[in-house]
Amino acid sequence: MTRLFCKLFTTLIAAFISLGFAQEQEFETVMTPAFSPITWDRLVNAKDEPHNWLMYSGTLDAQRHSSLEEVNVDNVDELELKWAYQIPEIDRAETVPLVVDGIMFITEAPSNVVAVDARTGRQYWRYNHELPEDLRICCGRNNRGVAILGETLFMSTLDAHLVAIDARTGNLLWDVEVAKHDSGYSKTAAPLIVKDLVVTGIAGGEFGIRGFIDAYHADSGELAWRTYTIPGPGEFGNDTWSDDSWKTGGSATWITGAYDPDLNLIYWGTGNPGPDWNGDVRLGDNLYSDSALALNGDTGEIDWYFQFTPHDVHDWDAIQVPILADLIIEGEDRRVMMWANRNAFFYSIDAADGQFLKASPFATQTWAQGLDANGRPVRVPGMAPTYEGIMVSPPITGGTNWYSPGFSPDTGLFYVTAFDGEQIFFKRDEDYEEGERYTGGGGRYDQPMDAFQSWIRAIDPTTTETIWEFPIMPRSSAGITTTSGGLLFSGTADGYFFALDAQTGQELWNISLGRRVHAAPITYEVDGEQYVSIASGNVVYTFGLDN
Amino acid sequence: MLPRIDIFWKGLLPLVAIALTLSNLQISAEDAGALYNTPYDVSLGERYFERQCSRCHGFDAKGNDETGAPDLTGRLNRASNEVGIFNIIRNGVPGTAMLPVDADLPDTQVWQLVSYIESLRYDPNLVQLDGNADSGLALFQGKGDCSSCHMVRGRGGRLGPDLSRVGESTRPEDLMVAITDPHENVDPRWWTLEVTGRDGVTRSGFRMGEDSFSVRIMDNDSNLWSYQKNDIQSIDRVERSTMPSYDESMSENELDDLVAYLFSLRREEN
Repeated sequence: MTRLFCKLFTTLIAAFISLGFAQEQEFETVMTPAFSPITWDRLVNAKDEPHNWLMYSGTLDAQRHSSLEEVNVDNVDELELKWAYQIPEIDRAETVPLVVDGIMFITEAPSNVVAVDARTGRQYWRYNHELPEDLRICCGRNNRGVAILGETLFMSTLDAHLVAIDARTGNLLWDVEVAKHDSGYSKTAAPLIVKDLVVTGIAGGEFGIRGFIDAYHADSGELAWRTYTIPGPGEFGNDTWSDDSWKTGGSATWITGAYDPDLNLIYWGTGNPGPDWNGDVRLGDNLYSDSALALNGDTGEIDWYFQFTPHDVHDWDAIQVPILADLIIEGEDRRVMMWANRNAFFYSIDAADGQFLKASPFATQTWAQGLDANGRPVRVPGMAPTYEGIMVSPPITGGTNWYSPGFSPDTGLFYVTAFDGEQIFFKRDEDYEEGERYTGGGGRYDQPMDAFQSWIRAIDPTTTETIWEFPIMPRSSAGITTTSGGLLFSGTADGYFFALDAQTGQELWNISLGRRVHAAPITYEVDGEQYVSIASGNVVYTFGLDN
Repeated sequence: MLPRIDIFWKGLLPLVAIALTLSNLQISAEDAGALYNTPYDVSLGERYFERQCSRCHGFDAKGNDETGAPDLTGRLNRASNEVGIFNIIRNGVPGTAMLPVDADLPDTQVWQLVSYIESLRYDPNLVQLDGNADSGLALFQGKGDCSSCHMVRGRGGRLGPDLSRVGESTRPEDLMVAITDPHENVDPRWWTLEVTGRDGVTRSGFRMGEDSFSVRIMDNDSNLWSYQKNDIQSIDRVERSTMPSYDESMSENELDDLVAYLFSLRREEN
């Protein structure tokens, strides 16, 4: 009995010691945030975990709105710098980081990704993607972010590959070639997860590519489907391209789309037809360039399309992030796709069937008299580029461009970075050569840039009227994020990060970060404290309150 | 009114014969420089530049602060001669967005591109002007009273651009326009801003800096003022130059002399 008691006592002591050890281990775990796998359900319900930023546009409807409200209109002027992460490779940062349970994933130029502690900015791991020397990129060495599913990150690379990276270690899991980089293809946008598929676009619209949207199985990297954004022979729309121009018609897909789980539709924009400024060699509407495509979430089949700028000759890509929301338009409940297009018109479109609902210009434009009942533009004659050049608004960079707009369900307003400018467009005759630029002209300003003006504009999507505007210096290219703290965050071309009252547009706070903001802000929470992050120049800055 | 300028920098016809003679030879970057520099070569280089390079460097090759691509029309930081330019085009600049051209692109075409870039950076010693630079200096300091507003090598006023090296970056014809029609192409740095502060006081000055949220000016007494835009009553821009036109007040010969003097202003050689 005594021996049994002693044995029991010894066992209890051992259990107590091991329990204590286990408790110490748990404490260590708290010190180092751990994330649990990101399931598809978590992505569908990303709104319910506002402490994380789980995808490029925050949520599948791409609203870029967070319900966090610790930082709000009353205290935003108390924001202070918490940390800065310096990207070692000098280039411009268009990254939109993800935050998963206290860990931040930042992409860097040219095609690298780093994981850092979201409270300190200090590194866990880094993945450097090896690149060939003969890249074909039109517009800088950019990467805008990763996607996550399970414990795997997915990233586009400049050599037109898609890579899968272990989110805990940075180890490469698989690497697939999406297209031939030396033919003019490249990849810059964050992929979008749809169920167990990695949906991803392609860049190269200035190199005479034939655009497409791909979906890859997340576990293997195997191609599930490819939908070309230019129909092939025998397919609907192929006859909207004269001769063989469909083969080199561009229509790239270089920004991240949105997804509606109830409709099972993927929404994705397409870029300019090629060559950009000389439409003589590609007569017709040039489907599906400059369009919004709604694709079946399982098969990639085109359910409907809406072409914003048929036969575009000004490089006005529909490379914008579509935003989805439930709205009442003229008394009718609708699922609406909101779209501020590079052609300077804002559109509200029925997300279920692509029906055109309303539109208005949101920036200076001189090319269209208006839109007809189906949303097709009625052009002002004589606005196509000439050999000598012709002045048109908006300029090549558009009334807006690829940088993310935002929507706040609290205010019901859509927010966009707009540019009022004009440019002389001209055309050139060029022959297509594989891997060479194929643009057929260009544009030039005839005034100093400071003579123009950019704005943050707030639009009521039920009427498409602009409700308020806030002036910033020209050619701003920052995205917009709103919060339930009543705030709108964005940046400027001259290196500011700032907050406005999302309801009124009143300026609440700004800080000079010194270099251009090319990225969109995110907000997240760790240990009950809200943070706001933005990339400026080559640095990711993170702000929070003094708690 | 424009001066008659004989520019020989494109007049390299004698080299055409040499180029034709050597055109079947393989030229490497280690050779002395471009043999493909006839006006025809320059025009082909320009076509290639427009198509492949202008997206970053601009159609006027003056660079782009957004892409970070440098101005190619002035002094180049990374190359001091044609071979240096050739090597950059052929090899790119590692760690930057300046990628190498296609490896299959023939050297001939790279040299034509070099010749085009060189044509933008003409040799000022080959430019012959009608005016006399010494007479122009006297006008600058005397009748024109230019030095009351402009500095040259540390002497002069602060109410206009420093002209110590204006000849490096400005062609004679553009100098003439600046003197006779100063309201054409006013650099935003020299716009005038009239700022009324919260105290109701209005100050007028040159636009030293303006951004989305603040503005800085220098008034005519060289005082520097800085404002937050959310802390002022109003701000008005005057996008005209404060400089008078010399079109009426100087003769054609005097204008030629002044241009000759300004064009001679470049970095002093030790």
